[in-house]
Amino acid sequence: MEIFDIFLLEAVLNGILLGGLLALLSLGLNLIFGVIDVVWICYAEMIMIGMYAVYALHVQQHWPLLAAMAAGIAIVALLGALMHQFVIRPVLSAEPINQLLVTGGVLFFLQAAATLAFGIEFKNLGVRLPPVVIGEMSFSFPRIIAFAMALAGVAATWLLLTRTYIGTAIRAISQDRGIMPLMGVNPGRVFVVTSALGGSLAGLSACLLVLQYDIHPAIGLSFGPITFLICVLGGLGNMLGGLVAAFIFAQFISVGGFFFAIEWGYVIAFVFFIAVMFWRPQGILGGK
Amino acid sequence: MTHSKILAAAAVAALSVSGVQAQQKEIKVGVIYDYTGAFAAGGSEAAGVGTKIAIDMLNEKGGVEGYKIVPIYADAQSKTEVAINEMTRLLDQEKVHIIMGVFSSAHCVPMAQRADASKKFMWANVCVASAVFKDKKLSYVFRPQVHSDQFGEASCSYIAENAREKLGMDPKKVKVAIIYEDGPYGAGVAMGNEAKCKALGMDVTLKEGYAASSPDLSSLVTKLKRARADILLHTGYNPDITLFLRQAREQGLKFKGIIGHGAGYGQIGKLTETFGADVNYFFNVDPVAAQLLDPKTLKPGLGDLTKEMVKRYQAAKGPADVPPHASMGFNQSWILFTDVLPRAIKKHGGIDPEALRKASNETDIPMGGTIQGYGVKFFGPGTPMAGQNERSSPVVMQYVNGRTYVAWPKAIRTTDPIFPFPKGHPYAM
Repeated sequence: MEIFDIFLLEAVLNGILLGGLLALLSLGLNLIFGVIDVVWICYAEMIMIGMYAVYALHVQQHWPLLAAMAAGIAIVALLGALMHQFVIRPVLSAEPINQLLVTGGVLFFLQAAATLAFGIEFKNLGVRLPPVVIGEMSFSFPRIIAFAMALAGVAATWLLLTRTYIGTAIRAISQDRGIMPLMGVNPGRVFVVTSALGGSLAGLSACLLVLQYDIHPAIGLSFGPITFLICVLGGLGNMLGGLVAAFIFAQFISVGGFFFAIEWGYVIAFVFFIAVMFWRPQGILGGK
Repeated sequence: MTHSKILAAAAVAALSVSGVQAQQKEIKVGVIYDYTGAFAAGGSEAAGVGTKIAIDMLNEKGGVEGYKIVPIYADAQSKTEVAINEMTRLLDQEKVHIIMGVFSSAHCVPMAQRADASKKFMWANVCVASAVFKDKKLSYVFRPQVHSDQFGEASCSYIAENAREKLGMDPKKVKVAIIYEDGPYGAGVAMGNEAKCKALGMDVTLKEGYAASSPDLSSLVTKLKRARADILLHTGYNPDITLFLRQAREQGLKFKGIIGHGAGYGQIGKLTETFGADVNYFFNVDPVAAQLLDPKTLKPGLGDLTKEMVKRYQAAKGPADVPPHASMGFNQSWILFTDVLPRAIKKHGGIDPEALRKASNETDIPMGGTIQGYGVKFFGPGTPMAGQNERSSPVVMQYVNGRTYVAWPKAIRTTDPIFPFPKGHPYAM
């Protein structure tokens, strides 16, 4: 019975670490939707581009890993800004379905571009960090870092939004997009900054995923749908909601998968998602 | 007849001859593999290269019985719906005579059903799920390749034959865990694993499937730690295999041996690149990579054929170890074009599905008659596995320092396998 408890505890703790990873993934997507009101279906593919950027700089150009990661974050931040300027801005006033289709098109474009640039082979950094061992339990060090970075990312984003002028402008725009230009705020600039910020969070996610997963053009498919579900579950645009939803979802996957077949963990999580959608269509902490 | 008339007649005759040559008969072949997406690097592209080499070599010799092989290569993009759409396009618009290739069993099952229902000829090169044929009563679909039940049986037979000598255990005391991607391929192999291991009296402590695109397998690893199995039997693609192995190492999962079953485990180059020495002493069940066989055990000439295939593969893809999938893509294509197709043309009057079907059912290649060692004879019409090769067989290979060796069957093994994992190995118990 004691041994059983240790393994259950390992599953719970792994669920918490997975929750941190999913929370980090959902953070940037929620920020962008909350401010610009457009869902970037291609968000996970931007993370994929970030992973390739880190790989190319560290493995092919022999940059130090931390420098490659910093550059990777900057590259995806720039990609986010360009994405807004050239793809989102022209469809800002279009129907939501058209906006979705446009970002869906970017998804396929990024996948194809990555395939052309890097080929179909699976890439990895070849970096292996030692696990953290506690008794019979053992945990992934990159996951622990991801967990810490998710919390730090939420805190930093919160500080930015509440303690800086641009943060105040972002929050103001998200509350009333129509009135703010009359108060002297340039919405276009705020949108670009928000997109770059969302991109940098995607870049940060890429830096942490690249330590745990192989890189390939289709890796976004492993994370894209679940990230979107978490955002919806927490309340699209609500960053705290996304954080809460990520940890709930991860526990269903991890502990559900421990007690039943692993696929059942996902089934239980999705049943919970559907139930919440009936109960609160706006999501757990969604305000509308 | 004046000189000028003779010259004119000769010119007309020459023109008509060259016209006939220009209109050399063609057989159009739709070759479908996953050239992009997650399956591409898991062996599909390698199989596609193998198939292309076979077609190129035959066309360089003038084709088959006066027919030039005209391949139309199509990318299934690792998506079943794309594979089906491409097959429909190739059959209806390109009017191909044969559909061939197909890496993933998830594509293969519906494609075979659809091809057979519309009485089109399909030749499956790589996909292994027994479910493609089992109780389907197919008439126009054939597969020389090994099927998943045989994969499942090979690993359990290997354990049973080596348990006493290598593990110092009664085979009936050996605890095995079976994990698999939950598509037709993984589920088919796992079913074969479970049936055979249980028939041999082994204790199957855990059997569980997972989605190949799953972003996290940590709870599965925790359960495997709790199950404390001696041997892990794993069937998966990539990237699920690398995710599992990475998380297993991080979570301290230990075994006496790990036996993979093709696909991602067939890519020793990729595994070594990712995990280095960690994949030393892993086993892989697959149809053998042709270059590992002793040519003396094969029909004369097949050794040279293998050498040519390896040469061309390495020219196309670099000097690394040639994966078994290259042999699969090449071998099955070679069987079709050098055995079945000539018979269809000469004996059954052409290249229509009926002629190809009849010629396939008459195939009778003895053991040692193909570069992968096995023979070819298809289960007959009306039988539960109609269309599947009854003479195919896989081998168990072991990876040691980036090289591949045959470990089972004992009669053709090229190494005395290292089993269990030696002390100090990251996955050793």
